[in-house]
Amino acid sequence: MQAYLGLDVGSVSTNLVLLDERGEVISSLYLRTQGNPIRAVQEGLAQVEKEIPAGTSIAGVGTTGSGRQLAATMVGADTVKNEITAHAVAALNELPEVQTVLEIGGQDSKIIILRQGVVVDFAMNTVCAAGTGSFLDRQAARLGVPIEEFGALAERAENPVRIAGRCAVFAESDMIHKQQLGYPVEDIVAGLCEALVRNYLNNVAKGKDIAAPILFQGGVAANIGMRRAFEKALGFPVIVPPYHAVMGALGAALLAKRAVAGRRSTHFRGFDVSRWHFAVSSRSCGGCANQCEVVEIRGEGKLLARWGDRCGRWSNVSVEAAGR
Amino acid sequence: MRIGIPRALLYYHYYPLWLTFWQQLGLQVKSSPPTNKEILNQGVSAAVAEACLPVKVFYGHALHLAPQAEFLFVPRLVSAEPGTYICPKLMGLPDMLRHAGKKLPPVISPTLNARCGPRAWELAFIRTAAVLGFGARQAERAWKVAVAEQARYTAKLGEGKTPLDVSEGAEDDDRSSRKALLVLSHPYNLFDDFVSLGLIRRLRARGYRVITAEMLPGRVIAEEAARLPKALFWSLGRLILGAGGYYLRSGGVVGIIHVVSFGCGPDSLVGELLERQARRFGKLPFLLLTLDEHTGDGGMVTRLEAFLDMVEWRGAS
Repeated sequence: MQAYLGLDVGSVSTNLVLLDERGEVISSLYLRTQGNPIRAVQEGLAQVEKEIPAGTSIAGVGTTGSGRQLAATMVGADTVKNEITAHAVAALNELPEVQTVLEIGGQDSKIIILRQGVVVDFAMNTVCAAGTGSFLDRQAARLGVPIEEFGALAERAENPVRIAGRCAVFAESDMIHKQQLGYPVEDIVAGLCEALVRNYLNNVAKGKDIAAPILFQGGVAANIGMRRAFEKALGFPVIVPPYHAVMGALGAALLAKRAVAGRRSTHFRGFDVSRWHFAVSSRSCGGCANQCEVVEIRGEGKLLARWGDRCGRWSNVSVEAAGR
Repeated sequence: MRIGIPRALLYYHYYPLWLTFWQQLGLQVKSSPPTNKEILNQGVSAAVAEACLPVKVFYGHALHLAPQAEFLFVPRLVSAEPGTYICPKLMGLPDMLRHAGKKLPPVISPTLNARCGPRAWELAFIRTAAVLGFGARQAERAWKVAVAEQARYTAKLGEGKTPLDVSEGAEDDDRSSRKALLVLSHPYNLFDDFVSLGLIRRLRARGYRVITAEMLPGRVIAEEAARLPKALFWSLGRLILGAGGYYLRSGGVVGIIHVVSFGCGPDSLVGELLERQARRFGKLPFLLLTLDEHTGDGGMVTRLEAFLDMVEWRGAS
């Protein structure tokens, strides 16, 4: 049997999805990146290797996320795609008539507007990370609530309090204030969800034509409190797909399947990559006043790729020739 | 005498005029090199934190030139056409620069204000030349040559060249058959390859022809701008809205990208107006790209790739 592997290497989590020929999920993984994308990719590959059914071979690999280039270089990818396209592809696979995708991940959030199966508009958060997963994580820890129970707690709220959602710093001091006044923690948690949704709709989704059906993707979609807050604010039901946390990786796997269609070979280097020794180094190029920070990645001592230069002096060097 | 002209802000609009005028008077004109990391860092550390990125970049260029010039030419540009204004930060530029607390050569800053009459710019240049000891006759002659040079430059832009193509003497390569993208921004964002993170190069590398507002005749911009419910008095915003409106109405491009710098006052309004217009017409993919000090291009590349996927996806369906 042939299978397709998708990797989504983000700032907070690294996700892997293995699809069979019909596009059904064989296995999915959600790992913390913890600032070390190389280790996360290797760990993920090792786990997928363990779970893969006997007689299954990898026919195609796709990568996405902010670490997509690094991951593609490491594992040998057939396609490298941005997160917007990957999420849109996965959403369309889940629900072909989808018109809006809300996605909230660890460090960023996005909205994708689709009509008749085509992306017509999108936006990503710009300079502000208020309302993303890391902020929720932090507030949950501060309230002493495990993040997994955060949503259920919010659902029990009877009178959500109003929290300032414009800025994470303000939200935090507002929450502390409400705690000191003695409001029940579930009302504060529910209020926080509403504040984050307000912030998302006013910033990321500003002016976007939100129409149902709406899919809610990303790690934060697991939070039932956030889903309810979106439904309350939008007045439409919000659907959380079963693989909501790994939709980027799912999209990358689907794109890989398309990329290798009609081809017999894949660039996949094999599961041995999980045991390779990877070395990354960076240096400041002294070629001109721009002093680009050039990154170099080696696997088993062999030069795999370089990037980070503006002029192409380093990245264009034929890797085969330079890797002697 | 050596006069320094920072390669930043309205340099990208008016460098043929400014350079030629002083060269005609026999002055040695020195421009700063294209923006690089050193210049950006210098500017960011010297400018007030609230300034927008282009103003910070300007500081960097002025400081870079300071040891190499006896004078810096930093005109106070108030108005370029009757009935319009330039951004207030640019009007106050010479004062901001003088009070940056850095060692600078004397700053020459004639006030260029087209609201004071059709010859206001010319007279300002002639008066400034007089202070430096040049006669009115000589200055008038220099002005005529400079204006002609500026007109030649504008005509080249009308042929579909960008200011970078003109200054690099790029040959015409036949891009007419390619799909076109309209890229709207202030020239000092767009044609500063460092600040724009090579946006135009990237789009051309992906096989697109790039159209900018400067390539449209002033007549078209004026017609489009007249459709706005209220006359827009920022000339730079007028250019962007005019060009955007024209292509939204007439088609001929497969998408529109609006590039703004973080913290730009006028763009916060102009961008909103443009985005609303784009949504009202609803036919063309639209992307708002925000530039800031980061030299990392990850965020921009992701948005750009997603946008081009969207353009191609729409084109195919």
